[in-house]
Amino acid sequence: MIKKKALLFILGVFLVLAAAGCGSADKNGDPEKKTFTYAMSGQYKPFNFFNEKNELTGFDVEIGKALADKMGMEAKPIATPWQGLISGLKAEKYNAILGSMTITPERQKEVDFSDPYYISGPNVFVRGDSAIKGIQDIKKGTPVGVLISSVYDQEARKYTDSVKNYTSDVTALQDLDKGRVDAVITDRFVGKIAAGEQKLNLNSVGDLIFVENIGIAFRKGDPLRDQVNKALKEIKEDGTYLAISKKYFDTDISK
Amino acid sequence: MIFFDYLIDSIPFFIRAAAITVELTAAALVLGMVIGLCFAMMKISGRRGLKYAADTYITVIRGTPLIVQLFAIYFGLATLVDFGSFWSAAIALAIHNGAYIAEIFRGGIESIDRGQMEAARSLGMNYSLAMRRIILPQAFRRIVPPLGNQFIIGLKDSSLAAFVTLGELFGVSMRLASTHYAELSFYTIAGLYYLALVIMFTVLVNWLEKRLRIES
Repeated sequence: MIKKKALLFILGVFLVLAAAGCGSADKNGDPEKKTFTYAMSGQYKPFNFFNEKNELTGFDVEIGKALADKMGMEAKPIATPWQGLISGLKAEKYNAILGSMTITPERQKEVDFSDPYYISGPNVFVRGDSAIKGIQDIKKGTPVGVLISSVYDQEARKYTDSVKNYTSDVTALQDLDKGRVDAVITDRFVGKIAAGEQKLNLNSVGDLIFVENIGIAFRKGDPLRDQVNKALKEIKEDGTYLAISKKYFDTDISK
Repeated sequence: MIFFDYLIDSIPFFIRAAAITVELTAAALVLGMVIGLCFAMMKISGRRGLKYAADTYITVIRGTPLIVQLFAIYFGLATLVDFGSFWSAAIALAIHNGAYIAEIFRGGIESIDRGQMEAARSLGMNYSLAMRRIILPQAFRRIVPPLGNQFIIGLKDSSLAAFVTLGELFGVSMRLASTHYAELSFYTIAGLYYLALVIMFTVLVNWLEKRLRIES
């Protein structure tokens, strides 16, 4: 038998917890400054990932901060699942997608991209003992792991009908190591760094499959795109870009 | 209308995926029933050790989310044993639903009048023979509705297999939804396929219920 007072107390606790959860947007920082919210998957080391302190960080995050600083805005990077990024942008949940998204004609119908903020490309990654020496060795039944809804997924489907979709490229590489797939197509840096850090016996084989121009996505017609392009040019000119690029890759990846 | 274009054009993808969903659910539920019957018998056996083990299993499995169990089996155990995405999902689903099925079986068995067991024993049957020939057949008839219910839940739970790379209904809908930038359309279509499967299954269960009723 629960006494009435106890029941009211419990209800009160729930209501307080609920109210605390619904707290309004963060009040830290200068209230006059506009925020530049940019989204990424957070599953893509070294471009965007969570560090040991569980902070969202990486090349994309730092470029975003540099751009926000140049535009006099407050940088707010957020992580959200990859396959929902574009619909979240359209739903105005954030200002931009700054998460290593490749510029493609299909995507350009849905969003406006900035100028490329880096250039990269995918490699085929395989286990050390693999017979696969390049993308031409991927046959119809070869199991290949790729990120769901990515340009790598589209590429893989040209060669094999046994495509396994992952919500994170890093998970795909781990499964490659365990033998669940025979190849993974992912960015050349992402694969190399994941294999190195986790001491996986994986190599990239063959040449870069194609060149990707990576852009920042905005809603169609959003003037923020031109502002960001201007800021991007400025951080390239004043060396900020080079510093961040060298920090992660020892080289300038805008070329 | 564009929704119908998506609906028609995606039929080959969704039919194949629906087949995987059905296979997965069937495998999981067959295994789940074996597990469920096992633990139900353990729980009613009267032997303290068996009852403890069954209670622990049921409590732990019902107390943890399916997705946690699924990820533990597919990702967590991967260094020790790899079942692949289909069987990892089937095993996780079987273990998970098995705990609920155990309670369904137990409820059915315990609802059979004690007199039945007494009569069977007095006719010279041992416990196991009495169970098999007298108690369980009667109990089974009673549990068809709640068991059918749990099967439907199992079918919908199979959607989590998408997160361990299985190309079943939900996984396919996620992919098509973002390829075509048409989330609402494709998640609705996936919902329609699940609904169709559940309705077909419900018809089957109702038929089974009717058939069992005539025999009594």
